Order: sequence, then structure tokens, then C-alpha cells
Amino acid sequence: MSGVLLFSAPGFSAETGGAGPAVESANAEPFDPFAGEYEEELLMVYDPIEPFNRAMFWFNDKLYFYLLKPIARGFRLVPEPARVSVDNFFNNVATPVRFANSLLQFRFGDATRELGRFVVNSTWGVAGLFDPARTQLGWEMKKEDTGQTLGYFGVPSGFYLVLPVFGPSTPRDAVGRVGDFFLDPWNYVFDESWHKTAVKMTDRLNVLSLDDDTYESIKAEQLDPYLFIRDGYMQRREAMIIE
Amino acid sequence: MFSKWMTAACLLLCLAPAAAFSAEAGPLAQIEQTVEQVIDTLKDDAIRGEQQRQRLTELIKARFDFQAMSQWVLGPYWKKANVDEQETFMELFSELLEASYLGRIESYTDEEVRFVSEKINGPRAEVETLIVTRSADIPISYKLVDRQGEWLVYDVIVEKVSLVRNYRGTFTEIARKEGMDGLFEQMRSKIEDLKSRSKEA
Repeated sequence: MSGVLLFSAPGFSAETGGAGPAVESANAEPFDPFAGEYEEELLMVYDPIEPFNRAMFWFNDKLYFYLLKPIARGFRLVPEPARVSVDNFFNNVATPVRFANSLLQFRFGDATRELGRFVVNSTWGVAGLFDPARTQLGWEMKKEDTGQTLGYFGVPSGFYLVLPVFGPSTPRDAVGRVGDFFLDPWNYVFDESWHKTAVKMTDRLNVLSLDDDTYESIKAEQLDPYLFIRDGYMQRREAMIIE
Repeated sequence: MFSKWMTAACLLLCLAPAAAFSAEAGPLAQIEQTVEQVIDTLKDDAIRGEQQRQRLTELIKARFDFQAMSQWVLGPYWKKANVDEQETFMELFSELLEASYLGRIESYTDEEVRFVSEKINGPRAEVETLIVTRSADIPISYKLVDRQGEWLVYDVIVEKVSLVRNYRGTFTEIARKEGMDGLFEQMRSKIEDLKSRSKEA
């Protein structure tokens, strides 16, 4: 766990003694100096193909509500601990993706931890069904992927891109997906591509079944879910590259 | 992707009034105690339904700095707005947050909350927490500002995504396209919508 937080960087290094922006405060109390913490960086996401993206967003939305979600709900007939184990299993199998990308970014501590997690969870964790590395030893899984590695080496994310089925992405992260595909052991387990697809689908649907309807909440609560998800995705990816 | 916003939302609201605090209590201690108070409220079978909601609402209003949040969320449009507009926005924004998250907080089960660290820098602080669920640990940090010894929250960062920045993306975009009045209108109808939903539930 690195304690570095992306958004603390500008704010916390700034001096705090200066007077804040002269805001006509709606309250009577004077406004504290935030030293313009967020002000300089009006985060504008580069989204030149917004109409296309919105169409894809719409398509994924329908796919979610009419196909994926009903199936994921069916998964919920299986008790949750079992589904958590399935999730652990898939995460364990995907270790090479995280391990290789940690190495590529010279994050040897992370790579070692991923390896340790794999050894512990494959044995003590009964072939990866349990995650004693996290629950007993406190070794957190850290998501690393090829898209982040590209970002680490300075490849810009490019514009925002919504892929059909896969959802939010950028050209960089889409290329990263291809890299992840080749690092994914499932690739080498089956000869038939539909087998791989079936396994990946099971993984995704299982994850969806464990999720507390996050997407529905965003859809219900946000003024513009498309923008909310877009900005959230971009924020998160940038932060993941830094850590 | 945005896994476990729900739990996060719980925490977003798990903040109670700091009446009990002495001025020396640091931000972490203040948040820790308030989170515990809220969890107690949620677990207390004697307080249910409307009564519980009211209590939670009071707690939230006391612990959040809605003015600072509103200012960050609107960014450049906050400065352009007149005092009336600023007040209207603050009002609507706090209602919107309340309508969004109040329903979810009640779905809190038994997740453990760990208070990891606090960083204090003059009038601002950041407190890192971790929510331990069965399938993952979710990092959530709070940014707080010191108001005469009371540490008030002005941003919540869930899995590295700042809520304020995220809301800002949406709000500034709408304000740019449709003006402040258009934004208010959308907020009002969304609040109505959410309120009618929660009544049905």
C-alpha cells in the first residue's frame, strides 16, 4: 500500500498562509484559504468523438440491462461466499498480467508481492479460491495492466473512447487490452476461442453479481451518467498510473 | 470499475456532529468518532425509517462544508454566479447529495472501517480510511478543512476518484451548455425524481 494520493500533491505542497480567493461568501463566515487547491486544474477530458461515445454508451447500457444484469442476477442464486471464491480464483489466475506489468514498470516490490500472493493463495488459499494473502497477511492485490505500463512510459492516453461491450477506454488502454490478452493464462489453456470467451464471460458476470448495482445507482442519481463515468474513468486511470 | 460506491456512499454520509469534541481532537479522531456514531445509529433498531433518516441528515449537514464543496464543484461558474445563485446552488447540491446517498447508507451491513492515517497541513487535512469487505479493501480518503477546531469534509476520494472533481465535470459542462438556470432545473427534477423513488421503495 503506497500512501501517496494523487490529489493531495498540489494541495498539500501549497503554502497555506495566503489569503484565499476573494469570494462573495453566501455565508457570513470568512472563507478559509484553500490556496486554490482545485482551481488551477479544471480537468477537461478530451472527448472529440462524444456523439459516437454516447451512442456506444447507450448500446452498452441496453446490453447491461437486458442481457448482462439478468444473467448476473441469476448468479446470485449461488451463495455469496462461493462467488467471492470464484472471483479470488480468477484474480489468482490473472497474476501474470499484474506481475509482468509491475516488472515492466520497475516496481519490484509490487512484483514480488504479486508473486508472494500467488504462491500463498495457490497453496494455503486452496488453488486460489481463498485470499489469505490479503485477509491474513495484509498483502493487497494491486491492479497493474499494460495500459498503465504504456502510461508509465509516457504514452498519452489520447481521447476518451467507449468500446462496445468493454466500456470506458482510451486508445492507449485499448492497446493495453491486447497486451493483457497475451499475458492472460486462459489464452494458453484452451485451443477453442469460444472456450476462452465463455471463461472470460463467467468471470465478468461473476464480478457483476458481486457488485452492488453500482451502475444502476449512477444512472439513477447523476444528472448526466455519461459524463460522470467518463470523468471518473479518466481520473482513476491517471491515478493508477502514478501509483 | 466503480466497485463498491455504495459502501463509499455510506461512509460519505457516516459523519456525525462533532458536538462532543474538544478543540484538540484531530481530524482522524473526529471522523473516527462520527463514523462510529453513524454506524451505531444504523444498527440501533429503536431508530428506524423517517426518524433515522432525519437523524442522519442532521449529522451530514453538520459535518460537511457544503459551501466549500459547492465552490469546488462549480469551479469557474461559482465566481461568475451572484450571491443568490450561489445560495440556490448550495441548497440544491446538498439536497441532491442527500437524496442520492440516504437510501444507500441504510444498506450498510457489517463492513469494518479502518482509520489508516491523517495528514494535517495548516487549515487542511486528509484522512485515509479503508473499508474491509469480503471481496476487497476499498480505500477512501476524506479531505477536511479546519473551521474553528471543527474539521469539516469538503471532498471524498473513493478508490482514487474525487467526488468533487467528478461532480464538477458534469456540473460545469451543464452550466456551460445551458446556463445556471438550466443546471438548477435539472438538479430540481433529479431531486424530485430521487425523492419519489425512495418513497416507493
